[in-house]
Amino acid sequence: MKNIKRALKIHRIFMAQEFKRMMEYKGDFIVGIIGFFLVQLSNLLFLWIIFNQVPTLMGWTVYEVVFIYGLSLIPKGIDHFFFDNLWNIGFFIIRKGDFDKYLTRPVNTLFHVLVEKIQIDALGELIMGIALVCVSIPHIGADWDFFRIAAMICMIPFITLIFTGVKTITASAAFWTKRSGNVIYLFYMFSDFAKYPAAIYNRVVQNIITYIIPFALTSYYPALFILRGENPLFNLGMPVLASAVLMTAGIIVWHRGLRAYESAGS
Amino acid sequence: MELNRNGIGKSNEDMISVDKLRKEFKKTVKDPGLRGSIKSLFRPKTEKVVAVRDISFAVAEGEILGFIGPNGAGKSTVIKMLTGILTPTSGSCTINGKNPTQNRKSYVKEIGVVFGQRTQLWWDLPLRETYGVLKEIYEVPDDRYRKRMAFLNEVLELDDFIASPVRTLSLGQRMRADIAASLLHSPKVLFLDEPTIGLDVVVKDNIRKAIEHINGQEKTTVILTTHDLADIEQLSKRIVMIDKGSKVFDGTIAELKAKYGQIRELYFESDCKNAEQTLAYDRQFALGKDDLSVETEGKSVKVRFNSSIVPVSDMLSYTLGKINVSDISVKDADIEEIIRRLYGQGAES
Ligand SMILES: Nc1ncnc2c1ncn2[C@@H]1O[C@H](COP(=O)(O)OP(=O)(O)OP(=O)(O)O)[C@@H](O)[C@H]1O
Ligand SMILES: [Mg+2]
Repeated sequence: MKNIKRALKIHRIFMAQEFKRMMEYKGDFIVGIIGFFLVQLSNLLFLWIIFNQVPTLMGWTVYEVVFIYGLSLIPKGIDHFFFDNLWNIGFFIIRKGDFDKYLTRPVNTLFHVLVEKIQIDALGELIMGIALVCVSIPHIGADWDFFRIAAMICMIPFITLIFTGVKTITASAAFWTKRSGNVIYLFYMFSDFAKYPAAIYNRVVQNIITYIIPFALTSYYPALFILRGENPLFNLGMPVLASAVLMTAGIIVWHRGLRAYESAGS
Repeated sequence: MELNRNGIGKSNEDMISVDKLRKEFKKTVKDPGLRGSIKSLFRPKTEKVVAVRDISFAVAEGEILGFIGPNGAGKSTVIKMLTGILTPTSGSCTINGKNPTQNRKSYVKEIGVVFGQRTQLWWDLPLRETYGVLKEIYEVPDDRYRKRMAFLNEVLELDDFIASPVRTLSLGQRMRADIAASLLHSPKVLFLDEPTIGLDVVVKDNIRKAIEHINGQEKTTVILTTHDLADIEQLSKRIVMIDKGSKVFDGTIAELKAKYGQIRELYFESDCKNAEQTLAYDRQFALGKDDLSVETEGKSVKVRFNSSIVPVSDMLSYTLGKINVSDISVKDADIEEIIRRLYGQGAES
């Protein structure tokens, strides 16, 4: 309990520092958000063009697809907002030996790295995701009972940790290889598959994004339950299980990595 | 205690004891060019580099140990193992009864670390904010924090720039700020890896005084690496010298001088036009390059010689008998000279 209180306090302090830092570089932050919206608009335009050709996509209506698309952006945005620093681990921090400082502080290194920075640009993803979900819901003829809404909200922390877990595991590779930024990137790219219903892909891709790099668990499967009430045990249980497995694996690999860390000459 | 100095025995009084510490790095070796790169991608060849070779030594509580050695000797690598950053390949180190890699979090609360080449300050924020964050990380209570900041402010003169963003600080200011950051939580042991690198004389002096002051007031044990021997002479009675990963000397500065300080310097002034040739010390005494050097500058001549081969009295009487001199004196070689010779010898002894 004391540990949790302390962790929350440290998190709050880092956040406050980050906001102060952000205020020093306002211009950059605004450009970041504008850039994101431009990318998302072009994606939506693409969806709109597809649905002008066909009324449904493998049985999914345009608003259902928009819902899945929006839902996928929410955990991605939250992870991006809070835990973006893992990219720096993969690209710079370990290679340059700057990881030393985390090891000389009385705070869990993974926790320290995770909460040290926030990425304001991610607000673009988050706002866009929430907007798309809210816009699509009234057009989808599902039974919107309390349970489904609650399920959707409760799933968000877990599916966020799927992103964080994958990033932690891939970032940890840098402890051995010195640089793993592109490995993170490669795996992270699979999350783009999560924007559309997994049913549109062939079996191989479906299996990969369900069981191996399970980004389909971040929006498609939860949506199967939320929109259609299908198989809650699998559609909600698997994402929760996957987040626990990935995060645990991430923590284990990270701590193994600490022992392999070689710093840099100085 | 004498035994501990040489790392043979161990006692509970020692703040730091290091036992056969070793660190090997794997280096991937690549043939040059694109071809080499591709080859190493598929069949990486690795080579073992021994950075630290079974080093043992001990440091008593409240001692300031000067840790020296030429570039690439392995000083920083040792410091990194002592601070828990690197896991030793073999051997062990115990600091205040703790092993740095086991229970790291409770261990690092007792130590302060400064790497002169890096900073742990928050780059984009005013310096004051860094201390605020570290206060929370190290759980320093409010009143202790206020007193501590006042103290550090006074010793390291932070006031002028405590409100400036860290990225705008000069090197000297940043170094003082980093040292203050490492001391905020009143550590028992302080590790300083080149804390005076690149600083001017005044700032160096300021930093040395601060270290001395803190060591005197709080009995903080300090390990200090540096290439500026004035740091060592001012701060530490004892030095450990390493070269190519092995320990080559461990003892007090007086001991170093006694052991290697047979080198003396003879100064004199003479009107004799070519004193050097006339005297021809090398032929007279059969002294090799290592044991003799002569420098002439106008009228004054400086002769460095090994007094264990040629006693000072012989040197004096020979010189005075050969030419007319005005003003003659003999001096102990300074520590720089000794160290220069030791670094040159490598890890033979
Ligand atoms: N991260 C690393 N990976 C591989 N080799 C390393 C690494 N760090 C240090 N070395 C090697 O270990 C040896 C000792 O390096 P170290 O940085 O400890 O020297 P040092 O005594 O601190 O030197 P300097 O006075 O130049 O700072 C060097 O040969 C160096 O090349
Ligand atoms: Mg060094």
